[in-house]
Amino acid sequence: MHRSAAKRLLHSSFFYANQTSPIRTIAAPRFRFRFLASTTPEPNDFNTRTSSSSTLGDRPSHTSTTSTPRANYEEEQARVLAASLHHVIRLGWTEAAMIAGARDVRVSPSIVGAIPRKEAALVEYFMDECLQKLIDKIDSGELQLLDLVASERIAKLIKVRLQMQAPYISKWPQALSIQAQPSNISTSFKQRAMLVDEFWHASNDEGSGVDWYLKRTVVGGIYSTTEIYMLTDNSTDFEDTWIFLKERVRDAFDLKKTFQEVKYFAEAVGAGLGSSLQGFAKKS
Amino acid sequence: MKTSFHEQVTLSSARKMCEGLIAPARMCLIVPLLEDYLNHISCCIVKRMSVRMVARRLGSKLLPRFAPAATLHSHATSFGFKEVNEEEKSQLVGNVFTKVASNYDIMNDLMSGGLHRLWKDRLVSKLSPFPGMKHLDVAGGTGDVAFRILETINSVNRRAKEDTLEDDLQEETQIYVCDINPNMLNVGKKRAQERGLGDLGSLVWVEGDAEKLTFKDDSMDGYTIAFGIRNVTHIEKVLAQAYRVLKKGGRFLCLELSHVDTPVFKQVYDYYSFSVIPVVGELVAGDRDSYQYLVESIRRFPPQEVFASMIADAGFQKVEYENFVGGVVAIHSGLKI
Repeated sequence: MHRSAAKRLLHSSFFYANQTSPIRTIAAPRFRFRFLASTTPEPNDFNTRTSSSSTLGDRPSHTSTTSTPRANYEEEQARVLAASLHHVIRLGWTEAAMIAGARDVRVSPSIVGAIPRKEAALVEYFMDECLQKLIDKIDSGELQLLDLVASERIAKLIKVRLQMQAPYISKWPQALSIQAQPSNISTSFKQRAMLVDEFWHASNDEGSGVDWYLKRTVVGGIYSTTEIYMLTDNSTDFEDTWIFLKERVRDAFDLKKTFQEVKYFAEAVGAGLGSSLQGFAKKS
Repeated sequence: MKTSFHEQVTLSSARKMCEGLIAPARMCLIVPLLEDYLNHISCCIVKRMSVRMVARRLGSKLLPRFAPAATLHSHATSFGFKEVNEEEKSQLVGNVFTKVASNYDIMNDLMSGGLHRLWKDRLVSKLSPFPGMKHLDVAGGTGDVAFRILETINSVNRRAKEDTLEDDLQEETQIYVCDINPNMLNVGKKRAQERGLGDLGSLVWVEGDAEKLTFKDDSMDGYTIAFGIRNVTHIEKVLAQAYRVLKKGGRFLCLELSHVDTPVFKQVYDYYSFSVIPVVGELVAGDRDSYQYLVESIRRFPPQEVFASMIADAGFQKVEYENFVGGVVAIHSGLKI
């Protein structure tokens, strides 16, 4: 149930993030009118269109007739963003990369103008893609998480996720600065929260109450610091980053034990104080 | 229920229009059918008015679908608040713009207090022009929007950030300025010379009708129409043509004077429109009637939601609109996929 919630949030977060309040959108009246007017089964046509639009450059260039349903603009947007990622290494997380991506999928680059918060949309798309890939990897079992201890599992998950960013590392500081902008920060925070949730879910966390928040905050902190460390790491295959990561995870788990010990100690002291106060009260 | 000013006007003119059309219909061979049809239309319009008020309370979005037919019919035969034949309307509008062409820009500045520059800037920034773009600016006679687009693409700021590979694309940029009125185009060409954009191959001045564009299908990356769609005879034809010439992924943007609904400001705006603007037109341009037509045509144009549904009906997706100055001006945008 938890997993499906994450998946649902994942798919909707990208699209909801693109709504801005002062601009009013007519929510797809096109589909409603077509459903009223035509008798063709719409959901089926929609699906076939989806599968055919996933292959690049296959579309015959004829004027559309009413029988061929038009692709949703959100799908086209996703295709443009996917193609833009190839250009990010050269052009950065910019409109120029998105324009080049649009040219690749043979859509007019004007579509970039219609994407709200352009560069942020590209970064958010990338983050969602990486999360989806991570979930797929976990589900397929190739990470063999069951053989590992809790701390090692977390370390491995963070490592796998950060390796997805490795090809873009030269432009990653720009992506971080885009995510930190006030208009984008709420979406990036939500995406990171979902990511950290996924880490803990994959390592079969059973926390509750304050513990739940504490765990996510700690791992969120580890993830962010490792991410930033990776920006200046020049070792081969980011060896230094993974050593850094292991140390941080170990510290965190040690700290957990320390906190527990502190808690027991405080309880013991409290109990001791309490009984001595009771004795004092009884005497007087 | 108290009807708004706009609805009272539309209602009375709709009735008059139907009566006016029924008379000549008697001459025709298929008289009975036509009469019934026109009577039905007039009933529908009356019903539509009351139903629309109910629907507004219910917040139904389906209703605007029925509105366009009647609104378009009334738009095609309205010249401000006067009723005219469809064939005459474009002639009358042409006369208006021939007369105002030389003072067009000064009057724009005076009437909007210079705000029209900001609105056009916003239109162009929404468009996000890029080098190598093929853009069509319709009813863009004096060239304001076209100049802004070209200057955005050529700006030094942008070029500093750009990849060197895009320099050759820069030359492929083509902005077509289309206008039905040659006087407006001449004013535009002169202004282009003054701004130093006259010799670039990028600006192409075309005389043409927005309802019958001569450009090829799927040839334009962008289509803008600023303060022009109010003056056309058939709005849906213009929208259909816009859809035709745009490429896949192309955007349609329309900047137009629109309807104000906020209570107090509406009264202020109405007073300003009907009492101040024609007087200014008289004083500055010596032409009261043209500016009377202007303010009346604003009132006759469909409101934001209805116009947005018309754009969606033409086939555009992601139809949005943004109001400025409480609704005095609205930018509608749509995407062709």
